[in-house]
Amino acid sequence: MPEQIMTQVISPDLNFVKDIIASGGESLKKCYQCSTCTVVCNVTPDDKPFPRKEMMYAQWGMKDKLVSNPDIWLCHQCSDCTAYCPRGAKPGEVLGAVRKISIQHYSPTPLAKMVGDPKYLLILFAIPVLLFLAYIAPKGYLDFSAIPRGENGGIVYSKFMPVFPQIDVTFSAAAFFAALCFAAGITKYWADMSKGAKTQGGNIIGSIKETVMEILAHKRFEKCNVTKERKTSHLLVFYAFAGLAITTTLAIVYLYGFKYESPYPLYDPLKILGNISALALLFGITFVVNNRLKNADKAGKGSYFDWLFIMVIYAVALTGIFAELFRLADIAVLAYPTYFAHLVFVFFLFAFAPFSKMAHMVYRATAMVFARHTNRES
Amino acid sequence: MEKKFGVYICKGCSIGESINIDNLTKSAARVAKIQPDAVRVHDVLCSPAGLEMIGNDIKEGANTLIIGACSPRVKFEEFDFPGAITERVNLREFVAWSQDPNTDATQSIADDYMKMGIIKAQKGNLPEPNILPDLSKTIVVVGGGISGLTSALEAAEAGYEVVLVEKQADLGGWAAKLYKQIPREYPYEKLEEPAVFGKIKEVEAHPNIKVYKSASIEKTEGQPGLFDVTIRTNGTGETIKAGAFIMAAGWQPYDASKLGHLGYGNPNVITNVQMEEIAKTGKITRPSDGKEAKKVAFIQCAGSRDPEHLPYCSSFCCATSLKQAKYVREKNGDAVAMIFYKDIRTPGQTEIFYKNMQNDPGVLLTKADVTGISDAGNGNMFVEAENTLLGEKIKVEADLVVLATGIVPATRVPQEYLDGLTEAGKKGDDARKAYIESTPKPEFILNLDYRQGPEIPSLEGAYGFADSNFICFQYETRRTGIYSAGCVRQPMTMADASDDAAGAALKAIQCVEHVAQGIAVHPRAWDMTFPDPLMIKCTSCKRCTEECPFGAIDEDEKGTPFYRVNRCRRCGTCMGACPERIVSFKDFSVDIIGSMIKGIEVSEDEFRIVVLACENDAYPALDSAAIKRNKINPNVRIIPIRCLGSTNLVWVTDAFSKGIDGLMLLGCKYGENYQCHFVKGSELANYRFSKVRETLDKLQLEADRCELIQVAISEYDKLPDMINKFVERVEEIGPNPFKEF
Repeated sequence: MPEQIMTQVISPDLNFVKDIIASGGESLKKCYQCSTCTVVCNVTPDDKPFPRKEMMYAQWGMKDKLVSNPDIWLCHQCSDCTAYCPRGAKPGEVLGAVRKISIQHYSPTPLAKMVGDPKYLLILFAIPVLLFLAYIAPKGYLDFSAIPRGENGGIVYSKFMPVFPQIDVTFSAAAFFAALCFAAGITKYWADMSKGAKTQGGNIIGSIKETVMEILAHKRFEKCNVTKERKTSHLLVFYAFAGLAITTTLAIVYLYGFKYESPYPLYDPLKILGNISALALLFGITFVVNNRLKNADKAGKGSYFDWLFIMVIYAVALTGIFAELFRLADIAVLAYPTYFAHLVFVFFLFAFAPFSKMAHMVYRATAMVFARHTNRES
Repeated sequence: MEKKFGVYICKGCSIGESINIDNLTKSAARVAKIQPDAVRVHDVLCSPAGLEMIGNDIKEGANTLIIGACSPRVKFEEFDFPGAITERVNLREFVAWSQDPNTDATQSIADDYMKMGIIKAQKGNLPEPNILPDLSKTIVVVGGGISGLTSALEAAEAGYEVVLVEKQADLGGWAAKLYKQIPREYPYEKLEEPAVFGKIKEVEAHPNIKVYKSASIEKTEGQPGLFDVTIRTNGTGETIKAGAFIMAAGWQPYDASKLGHLGYGNPNVITNVQMEEIAKTGKITRPSDGKEAKKVAFIQCAGSRDPEHLPYCSSFCCATSLKQAKYVREKNGDAVAMIFYKDIRTPGQTEIFYKNMQNDPGVLLTKADVTGISDAGNGNMFVEAENTLLGEKIKVEADLVVLATGIVPATRVPQEYLDGLTEAGKKGDDARKAYIESTPKPEFILNLDYRQGPEIPSLEGAYGFADSNFICFQYETRRTGIYSAGCVRQPMTMADASDDAAGAALKAIQCVEHVAQGIAVHPRAWDMTFPDPLMIKCTSCKRCTEECPFGAIDEDEKGTPFYRVNRCRRCGTCMGACPERIVSFKDFSVDIIGSMIKGIEVSEDEFRIVVLACENDAYPALDSAAIKRNKINPNVRIIPIRCLGSTNLVWVTDAFSKGIDGLMLLGCKYGENYQCHFVKGSELANYRFSKVRETLDKLQLEADRCELIQVAISEYDKLPDMINKFVERVEEIGPNPFKEF
């Protein structure tokens, strides 16, 4: 039986078009629908391929069609499309902008707008800075000599900023807030995606498992041409974060399980894992920046939204490593401020994760599961 | 003039290495009846030394020069000897560059070409100009729109008297009705104020231009340089002398009332012409309630590229809608302009304007087949479309719909009337009479007093657009001295129309100047010869008057043809048509070509094929083939003729009675995508040839020995093979049985 073609009612949203343009998709309007992008894209499904149709939806301000579209996340921004676009429309950058708007759409707190807009940057940083200052200032710790030392006279950061309640409560609260936002976001996202899509029913666990395996292997990055080296850099960052997550978990076990307080000696397995992960993060994020600069001509220079995320990770890695080095070298005047900055950046990274590019891990994974679940991808 | 021959052979460009020059010299001397040592051979004839040698001979009385060197299509400035009959023999391209060197066959080709050249020079005469008395150089411009105004200014600035005739009370045409116009300069971003008003001022103030407003042309008689034009203004007529015309009568928008399927009739569905009026009032408001329109839909090709309406593209509507989209956007930054197109066509640099407009976030474009307009309440409408880039079937809400209607040339209505008249005429006098009585007579524009009709003709299938030799000479029409410019001949933007107008003005100037010198106007713009019939033998059969593509031959009261020579383009169609063979030019006649054919050596053991090649396209194609060093079949002998239309059937008899085995006519393609320089020469030749085939059949001579082959100038690479195939076919038929006699 021939499929009944539904008449689609289109109401262009000019503000959405302007929003994409302002979010790094300024080349959007150059697209003249030649479809070179869909032909060169190696990650799109063959049926109703992206990103040509997304470019058209974007030009016509069809926000509903885009923000809840799993395809925007199946795109991994290889930038093959951008490199081959005969008119410089940079579909990869446009989809990046659309993803940003989608993240904001599903995280509807005022913070969403603020993370995407450089004019709020200082206010966002002011939150953790003031919070942490509020912990230490009353104790007079702004004068570093007033900070108690460890038993062997060394710098002990937990004496500067106690693990409990200051660190753990603050970060637990931030993580909880982020998790709540994510949960609300992906629930709504899943519901929106499901509208009009034919779900297979079946076992969603299988789809989740396959998706996780794929992410762990970073298989899809191999299909990219222009940004081929990105697999390595992203993999490094990804596993660095995994390593750091394990380190953090271990630290909790040490502290609350064994009452074993930091700092730990360099030969401790936790310390070894932590240090290797930190270095992996630094190298990985450096590769990321390098690749982006190297490919800027072909792939586009990236948006504020992207660079903010990259720079925060960079700062987390650098401040973390230097905090450790300055501590070991016992240079208090550098060690305490660096550690302070490290806490601020880590807070920024996690508390604002649902609104920043960090959210990509959640939404992309969700979209990938959905695509498998609906047979959009196999 | 007593002829004193000078025969020259150049050895340069590998001619000397391809043939035996001594033998060629001897054979040429024999034909020219001069001593072999009087034939001058030079290593590089076009060098200053070579030219000096010829110059010295001319000083000593040589007045008939046969120059065996390169193609006559090159070095024409070097080998230009005013006052002397100069015949160029193409030894370089047709012998040295396209034949195997130093064979007997090649030698005999060179001999034949030299011989034919000498025969032509012997038979021909030195042309003298034919300058008619009382010539006018005034240029009449018909139409005061952007094209007409530009033509008038260009011609006037060049120093010519111009008479501009405008039907309306004001100058400016459609260009004066615009709010803004499409940018014409880089970066194609800013809309321009209508430029036409400046032009109107200039025209009205120009001392060389006389403007007639609210005027029409009542009658045009005569020929280039000698037109009598009667202009009627406010009930009074005035007759002026003129030399040439520029036809820039312009266009009308397509009648939108026929576009009910696109919602026309709904007050909020307007045409692009109405949109200009609305934009002039300030805000973009919609007619039904005067509310500001914020969702404006533009439907492209409204009635254009549609077999039910106008089958053609009107060329400017895409750019116009983009411009009007800019009105919408500039007047309200929150408004959107949505353009539904078949294809966006913005010819030339207007493409940059399109790209700029596409970059505006509020200009939304999609390819679409608009299927209809439906009501969306509150005076709004849904534009319904299929096959879009957004989805299979879509509906988009709009509060104002603009139909991008196309153009109908001003010549269309008169042309349709005349076409109807011709059709009725075919059914007999009664039907014709009934047609005239029953059909309202439209207003004619030029009112030509020509036997071919009151207007310049329209090309077949050209939807009533004025005639244009669109392949090579776009401003030329079949009426010599009348040049079409602007939208009357082809849809175009104002920028293109201005260029067109300047081109047509130059053509008009060429016309009056050439007529003043007594030479052909164009395309044989150097040609001083003219048709000179031996009227004593004329039988008034009227075939020449019928077949002349340019209406240059009229008949007097007794029905005897006479030439209006300034209309003549010197193609020789009349010469080919005349059964009495009385039409001749000083250097081109039935006898000259016939004698050349008869001069070709024919032997019993060799096939000999004559190719009569059109000078305009076929001959250059042969030259090009030779320049690329393609081999041309050694059995053929090529004779250039002015146009295949000049082919007189007696040449067929000349060829076959001489023992030639095959005769090939090589001329322009005909049909809608190619044009003969002389409109229909090869078509006419083909028609005449069909008659010959019947005759040949009766003579028991195979009709396939004659063939007309159409070739485009660009097909030079295929040409040698086309000739080979013809030669093979003739070889299959066998030798001409008349060879033995």
